Amino acid sequence: MEYRFLTEELQKKIKSIQNRYLAKEQAIIPSLHLIQETYRDIPKEAVEELSHFLQVPLADIEGIVSFYDMFRFKKNAKNHIRLCRNLPCHLGGSRKLLKMLEKLTGAKAQGHSQDGKWYIELVECIGSCAIAPSFLINYDLYDGSKIKNEEDLKKILEKYD
Amino acid sequence: MSIRDKIPHLPEIYVDSNINLLLKRAKENRTVDIEEYETTGGYSALRKALERFSPDDIITLVEESTLRGRGGAGFPTGKKWRFVVANPKPRYLICNADESEPGTFKDRIIIERDPHLLIEGMIISAYAIGAEKGFIYIRGEYPAGYMILENAIEEAYKKGYLGKNILGSDFSFDLYVYRGAGAYICGEETALIESLEGKRGHPRLKPPYPPQYGLFGRPTVVNNVETLSNIPIIVTYEQYFMHIGPPGYYGPKLFPVSGKVRRPGVYESTMDITLEELIDMAGGAIGTPKAVFSGALGVYHHSEFNIPMDYSPRGFGGTGTTIVLNEEDCIIDSLIVIANFFHHESCGKCTPCRIGTYEQYNIIKKFQEGTATEEDIKLLQHLGKNIPIGSICGLGYSAPNAIMDALRKFRDEFEAHIKGECPAGVCF
Repeated sequence: MEYRFLTEELQKKIKSIQNRYLAKEQAIIPSLHLIQETYRDIPKEAVEELSHFLQVPLADIEGIVSFYDMFRFKKNAKNHIRLCRNLPCHLGGSRKLLKMLEKLTGAKAQGHSQDGKWYIELVECIGSCAIAPSFLINYDLYDGSKIKNEEDLKKILEKYD
Repeated sequence: MSIRDKIPHLPEIYVDSNINLLLKRAKENRTVDIEEYETTGGYSALRKALERFSPDDIITLVEESTLRGRGGAGFPTGKKWRFVVANPKPRYLICNADESEPGTFKDRIIIERDPHLLIEGMIISAYAIGAEKGFIYIRGEYPAGYMILENAIEEAYKKGYLGKNILGSDFSFDLYVYRGAGAYICGEETALIESLEGKRGHPRLKPPYPPQYGLFGRPTVVNNVETLSNIPIIVTYEQYFMHIGPPGYYGPKLFPVSGKVRRPGVYESTMDITLEELIDMAGGAIGTPKAVFSGALGVYHHSEFNIPMDYSPRGFGGTGTTIVLNEEDCIIDSLIVIANFFHHESCGKCTPCRIGTYEQYNIIKKFQEGTATEEDIKLLQHLGKNIPIGSICGLGYSAPNAIMDALRKFRDEFEAHIKGECPAGVCF
């Protein structure tokens, strides 16, 4: 099989992951993380290639992608906002923050902005309740309690192209 | 950008302690490296354990320490270890760093600021239970913690604390980090094991428990981050550990406090502290405190704030998670968040949990919209009884807890919502 998405670099990384673990299936989730970090989402072809590369059934890998919230087949926007909606952030005003985020990015909750720049996902507790309402943009964590108005939020969003 | 290129900046989380044990090095917002860890007494407990104690001695020490699992269930750690050593090798040690209970952010402080404390605890624990391989299962939403642990483990290998013949002894131990991918259920130990085996995180039917049948069918111990981080302290202090805190509930405990308090953060204390004193430690409540949600697991009325934060039957127990609500917050509006959480996180294996949590959410929503009747209270009680009976894991057992507690303690708010009134003025 010819690999289009599993580049040589990715293959090398996946091989080194395989060496650490007890069974080949243990490499599936770490490999999916690698693929998603490279392509922002998980292309269907990449899953087929991974299935071939690891010699595990395609259905197993697809089952994993659909089970875990962080993995996605659907094309992702350039920047992924994860806004916490759980209790401490809810009490801290995550609904208000969501309205501001929706206005400034043009994306709706659980949806993309038209230019493909933003995706807003409402997530469960991200373990940052001391800085509620907290949100992640890609891997950067922000303290929503410091955002008093749209200007403050604009300054953060401007950092991402 | 990949997280492998750069560690994302750490959040400014306030931390305070009145005993300086678990949080000794974690007061500032930075990661303690191995040199600093060693110069502040780090890895001396491991040295002591390998030189002076047999594995059995350490299990006895942990049994005497009365240490209980800090992940929520409060199971005696020494007892768990005794179970596992009764079974043949190879055995495995897993650290549960899949902290995802609403309002819980204590383990991340240890992982991000003092990772070697956890690693040292894991090496000593592995020595005690005779495990040669260990895994840290960290939740996918903690990318920085993942990076920090990978780096710290590399440092520990270079110094000879991990790998073959640790510190010249005949004990060898390999440690790996494994990232989850956003599933609360994977904090349940058998679901975690399934996920670590490279499958969907569905809990297993128990018994057999992991000490008999764990990772790939081998005897396995699964312990929480905070539990394992207590081990170096127990080995260092030995019998003096039993002077820390109240009888039967010795040792330090971390309490993540959030919601309507002046200084939300992680607080370390002995377990003789009361809920009221803990709220004071966090700068006191903003406004008049009305209730405390102990994560998603229970609701406390303000008249109960004198309970101790220990594992006794009338104690607070659990993970120590404290979310404070004041007079401006509505119980129903908060329960809907919790109900939605369980509906979203139920793995779907047991029908009463999968469907029941959805029904709970729909009924609470009726209260919020003002269309509920007395009949809905009965329905909630019915679900509260039947979801736990029909489920095989802790998620199903605890899914109705908060709603049932609220029904007992804040019945007036439910009734007010039936009449179309929201006492806090949030819902209508």
